[in-house]
Amino acid sequence: MGPYIVQRLLQSVFVIIGVTLLSFLTIHLDGDPTYLYVSERASQEEIEATRAKLGFDKPLTEQYFSFISGLMRGDLGMSIRSRQPAVDLVMQRLPATLELTLFAMLISTLVAIPIGIISAVRRGTPTDGGIMLVAMFGQSIPGFWLGIMLILSVGLQLKWLPISGHVPVIDLMLQGDWGQALSNIPKAITFLIMPAITIGLFSLSRNARLVRSSMLEVLSQDYVVTARSKGLSERVVIIKHAFRNALIPVVTMLGLEFGFLLSGVVVTETVFSWPGVGRLVTNAITQRDIPVVQASVVVFAVLFIGLNLIVDIIYAQLDPRIRLR
Amino acid sequence: MSRNPSRLGKLFLLTLLLVLIVPVIANAQTSDENTLVIAQSVDIGQLDPASVNSRSEANIFYHMYGTLFEIGDDGSITPYLANAYKVSEDGKEWTFTLNEGLTCHDGEALTAEDVAYSFERAADPANAFTGNTAGFVLPAVGYMGTRVDDDLNVTILTDRYQSIGLGLLSEVYIHCKDSYSAMTLEEAAQNPIGSGPYKFVEWVPDDHVTLAKVDGFTLRETTFATQIWRVIPEASTRVAELIAGNVDVIGNVPPDQVEAVNGSGVAGVQAVQGTRRIYVGFQFGENFKDAPGYDALQKTDVRVALQYAIDVPTICAALLGTECTRATGLVNDPNGNPNLQPYPYDPVKAGELLDAAGYPKDANGVRFETTLMGPRGRYLNDANVVQAIAQYLTDVGVVTTADIRDWADYRQLTGPKEVGPMFFLGSGGGTWNALYDMADLSAPDAGTNYTNWQNEEWFTLWNSLADIRDAGQEREVINKMLEVFYNDPPWLLLYFQPDFYGVSNRLDWQARRDEQIVIYNAKLK
Amino acid sequence: MATTTSSRALPVSLMPPPLPTWKRAARSLLKAKWPILALLILGIVVFMALFAQHITPADPNRQNLIERLKEPMTYNPDGTIKYFLGTDGLGRDLWSRIIYGAQVSLAVGVMAVMVGGLLGTSLGVVAGYRGGRVDDIIMRLADIQLAFPFILLAIMVLVVLGPGVWNLIPVLGIGQWVTYARIARGQTISQREKEYVEAARSMGARDRRIMWDSILPNVLAPLIVIASFNVASAILAEASLSFLGLGVPPTVPTWGGILNESRDQILAGKWWPAFFPGLAIMLTVLSLNILGDWLRDFLDPRLRGR
Repeated sequence: MGPYIVQRLLQSVFVIIGVTLLSFLTIHLDGDPTYLYVSERASQEEIEATRAKLGFDKPLTEQYFSFISGLMRGDLGMSIRSRQPAVDLVMQRLPATLELTLFAMLISTLVAIPIGIISAVRRGTPTDGGIMLVAMFGQSIPGFWLGIMLILSVGLQLKWLPISGHVPVIDLMLQGDWGQALSNIPKAITFLIMPAITIGLFSLSRNARLVRSSMLEVLSQDYVVTARSKGLSERVVIIKHAFRNALIPVVTMLGLEFGFLLSGVVVTETVFSWPGVGRLVTNAITQRDIPVVQASVVVFAVLFIGLNLIVDIIYAQLDPRIRLR
Repeated sequence: MSRNPSRLGKLFLLTLLLVLIVPVIANAQTSDENTLVIAQSVDIGQLDPASVNSRSEANIFYHMYGTLFEIGDDGSITPYLANAYKVSEDGKEWTFTLNEGLTCHDGEALTAEDVAYSFERAADPANAFTGNTAGFVLPAVGYMGTRVDDDLNVTILTDRYQSIGLGLLSEVYIHCKDSYSAMTLEEAAQNPIGSGPYKFVEWVPDDHVTLAKVDGFTLRETTFATQIWRVIPEASTRVAELIAGNVDVIGNVPPDQVEAVNGSGVAGVQAVQGTRRIYVGFQFGENFKDAPGYDALQKTDVRVALQYAIDVPTICAALLGTECTRATGLVNDPNGNPNLQPYPYDPVKAGELLDAAGYPKDANGVRFETTLMGPRGRYLNDANVVQAIAQYLTDVGVVTTADIRDWADYRQLTGPKEVGPMFFLGSGGGTWNALYDMADLSAPDAGTNYTNWQNEEWFTLWNSLADIRDAGQEREVINKMLEVFYNDPPWLLLYFQPDFYGVSNRLDWQARRDEQIVIYNAKLK
Repeated sequence: MATTTSSRALPVSLMPPPLPTWKRAARSLLKAKWPILALLILGIVVFMALFAQHITPADPNRQNLIERLKEPMTYNPDGTIKYFLGTDGLGRDLWSRIIYGAQVSLAVGVMAVMVGGLLGTSLGVVAGYRGGRVDDIIMRLADIQLAFPFILLAIMVLVVLGPGVWNLIPVLGIGQWVTYARIARGQTISQREKEYVEAARSMGARDRRIMWDSILPNVLAPLIVIASFNVASAILAEASLSFLGLGVPPTVPTWGGILNESRDQILAGKWWPAFFPGLAIMLTVLSLNILGDWLRDFLDPRLRGR
C-alpha cells in the first residue's frame, strides 16, 4: 500500500504542474491586461507605470518561471487587484465553496440512494417509471435556469427560503469558534438548500439511476439468488449483500463528482451571490488577475487529487484486485 | 412494518425532509429599523482610500472618509471637512480652511497636515497607486504639491488654472497621517481608518461590508446605526431581495423589471436621468484605415447623415425603459449649448444625404458596409442597444455588422484605441460644469479621446480657455465648441444613460444623477 | 462479469450474422416505448436544424423594437398567426430563433462530440494497444484534464480567444475526450489479448491495421452510447457558458444564448423568452439521455456474447 501511495503522490505533483502550466498559458495568450487596472480616464504615463509595476511587460517565460519558483516555496503570488497573497484570497472563500459542494454531495447521495433502491425494488412499476422520468428531467435542466426559477418561486413567491447570502459554518470551525459554528448550522442550511439543489440535481439524478442499475445487476447475481433461496428474509438479503456492492460505483463516482460539482459552482455562486471560490475565480479571469487564477486552480487541483486519492484507497480496500496493480 | 426495503427508503427520505424543514420554519427575516441594507453588483477590491478604482468602492468609501467639500449632482457646493476655500490670483493655488476639532476614527486629530498627507501619499511614485485619485484627479488638476500653512489651512499647488478644480480636489478621500504612515501598503489595503460619518466594521469578501455610525461625527446628520453593503451580482436576485424586503436600496434595476418593483407594494423604482454619455464613436485613427467603411466615415457629410438614421427615442423607450431626449453633444443638461436641436429620426433624409455624399444604394440596396464594435455587460442593456443601432444603420443601406465583446476584452481594446470603425462606449460625466464633460477631448492625443478626433478648431478653442477667467466669456467659447462638435460630429449622438434605483418604501431618500450612492442622509419615512 | 469467450471468438466480420440489427432494434424500441418518443423529438429537432432556412416564418435576426415582448399566439389583423411563440426583448420572432437555435445548438453539440470523440478514441486505442510509456503519458494527460474543472478551462480559453462558435466547439470537444479515451482504452486492452489479434499479428498485419479492423469495431458500441450523452452535456454546457457571457455572440441564436438573454425578463412576468428555449433544451437533452440509455441496454447483451 505504501509504494502505491507514494507513486500516486508523485503523479499528483506532475498533474499540478501540468494544471498550472495550462492555466498560465491560456491566460497569457491574450493581449495586454494593463487597461483593466487603470481607471478609464488614466493618463499615458499612468498606464506605462502600471504595466511595469504589475510585471506585464516581462516576457512570458520569465513570468511563468517566477511563478513556478514561487510555487516551490509555497508562494503563489500577490493578487493584482487587492494586494493580498493570492492564496489567502482563495482560502478565505474556500470554506463557503466547500460548504456548498459538500452539502450538494450529501443531498445528492443521501437522496439518490433510497430513491435508487426503491426504484430497483419496484422495477417495472409506475413508481419506477415515474422516478426514472423525474431523474431524467433532473439531468436535462440547465443550471442557472434552475437557480433563477428556484429563487423566484421558492424564495420570492413562497418565501420559504432566503434568496441569497451566506451564513458561515466551516469558517467559524476553522477559527475555533465551534459554539457559534454549530448554532449557525440550521440557519446555514436554509441558505444552502437552493444553491445545493441547483448544483446537485444533476448528480442526484445520475446517482439515483446508477444506484438503481447497479442494484438491479446485483440483485440478479448468483449469490443473491442463493441467499434468497436459503430463506433469508428479503430485507436482510438486500441490505447486507446488495447494498454494499451497489454502493461501489457511487463511491467511484464521488471523486469525479467533486470535480463535476465544482464546475456547477461557478454558475451557481453567481446566481445566488454565494461568496465562494467560484465567483472569485470567474472575476479573476475576467480581470486577468493571474495570480488569483493560478492559486485557485492549484487549490482545486490539490483538493481534487486528494479526494481521488482517498477514494482510490477506500476502493482498493473494498476490491483487492486493484491493490496488486 | 413489513420487511419491505422500499418502505425503509421512504422512511429515510421523510426523515431527511423533516430535518431540512425545521430550519426552514425557523427562517424568518425582518428588516431592522436601525440597519440600512444596500446591494451593489460588484464587490470592493481593497480598502485603501488612495486606491479606489470602481464606482462600488467609491460609494462605500464616501461614507467612511470625509472630503474637503461636497459637490451635489446639481453642482451645488457644500462645505464638509473644509468650510472655506480660496484660489490664488494665477489660479494655481487652492487654499482650504478646515473645521476645528476634526478627528479620524482612531482618535487622531485631523488637521491641515493630514489633508496634505492624503494628497502626497496618493501622488508618491513609490506607492505606485492606480485608481481615481492618482490616475485621474491629480493629473487632471495638474497637481504639483502641497503646502501646510497652519493647523487649519492647507494649500494644494497646481500647474495651471482649472475651473473644475474644486470638484476634482473634492474627490480625494482625506485620511490621517500618523495612522497611515505607520502601515505598509498591504496593511492599509486591509485596515481602513476613516474620517467620515461611518466607520469600518468588517468586510466579508464577496459578501458584504459593514459600517457603523460614528457618534462623534457632527458635520452631518445620520440616522441608521449600521450600514450593510451587500454584493449581489445577478440582477434578478438583487431585485428579488428588494421585493422580499431584505434590501433597502439597489442599483441597476433592469428596465424590464421596473414594473414588477413598482407593483410590489414593498419598493419603488427611482428613474434618474444619469450623467453618463453614451455614444457611438467614429474611429479616425490610422490603424483602421483599411477597415470597411473607414473612408466613408471620414467624411463629415456621411457622419451627419448617419445621425438621422437612428431612432434614439424609440431605443430609449423600448430598451432602456425611459423617455429620453437625444443628446446634442457631449455635455449634460443644463450645461449644453441651448441653440442646438437634437438630430431627429429621419431615415429618408439620411438616405438623401448619403446619396449626396456619394454613397448611393447599389443593386442590393447597399451603400457601404461597416462594423460596429460594442461591449456586453457594462452599460445598461448595451448588447441590445448595439444590435438595435446596427439594424437601424443597415436599414438605411449602411450594412453594419455588430461585433459584441465581453467588457473585460473590450476595455483592453478601447485603452489603446483599437476599436473601430465604429464603436459603442460610455463616458462618465457631471452636471456642475460643462468643461468636466468636455475634458474627454482635452487634447488630440488624450487618453480619453478614443476616436482620435483631430478637429483643429475644437482644440484651439479648448486651449484658449486657460486664459479666460470670466464666466460669460467662457460660456461663449463653450457654445462655439459645442457647435463645432455638432457639425463635425466625432460621435453618433445617442443619449445620457438613465439609472434605475430600487428603493424600499420605508426609506426617504433621493438617488443622485452621477451614479454615486450617497446615503448617509437617508431616513425612515 | 460476462462469461466470455472462448479463445475461438472471431472478428466481427466473420461471425454468422444474427437477426438483422435494425430488426432487433425495432423490437427493442417497441418494447421500451419511451425511446420512440425520444427518437421522434430528436427527429423533429434534426429536421429543424437541417431545414431552418426554409421553415422559419420570419428572419430570426430581424429586430423590431416596437414589437418587443409580444405574447405567444399574437395574431395578425387578418386572423393569421403573427408570433407563434411571441417575441423576445428586441422584437425578434421567438419561434424563428428557436428553429435556428436548433441548428446552432445541435451543430455545436454534434461537432464537439466528433472532435472529442476522435481525439479521445484515438488516444485511448493507442494507449491501450501500445501500453507502456505511451499509455502512461496519455493517462497522465487525462489526469491533468480531469483535475481541472471543465468550466474553468472553458472560461479561460474563451475569455482569451473570444466567444464564437468555432472557438466553442474545440473547447467543448477537449472537455470530453477523457470519457472516450478511458473506455476505448479499456476495451482495447481487453481485446488485444484475444487470439485473433495474435493471429493477425503473426500473419504480419501492421499495428494500425489491427487497431482499425479488429479493435475499433468492438470499441465503437460503448462509445456511441457515451456520445449521445455527451451531445446532451455539450448542449447544457453551452447554456452555462452563455450565462457567463462566453457562448456565441448575441447575434447568433442558440438555445442557451436565448435563454441567457431573457433571464432578466422572467421576474417581469414575461415568461416565454426563457421558457421555450429552456423547454427545447430540456426535451432535446432528455431525448438524448433516453436514447443513450436504450442504446446502452441494446448494445450491452450483444457485447456480453463475445
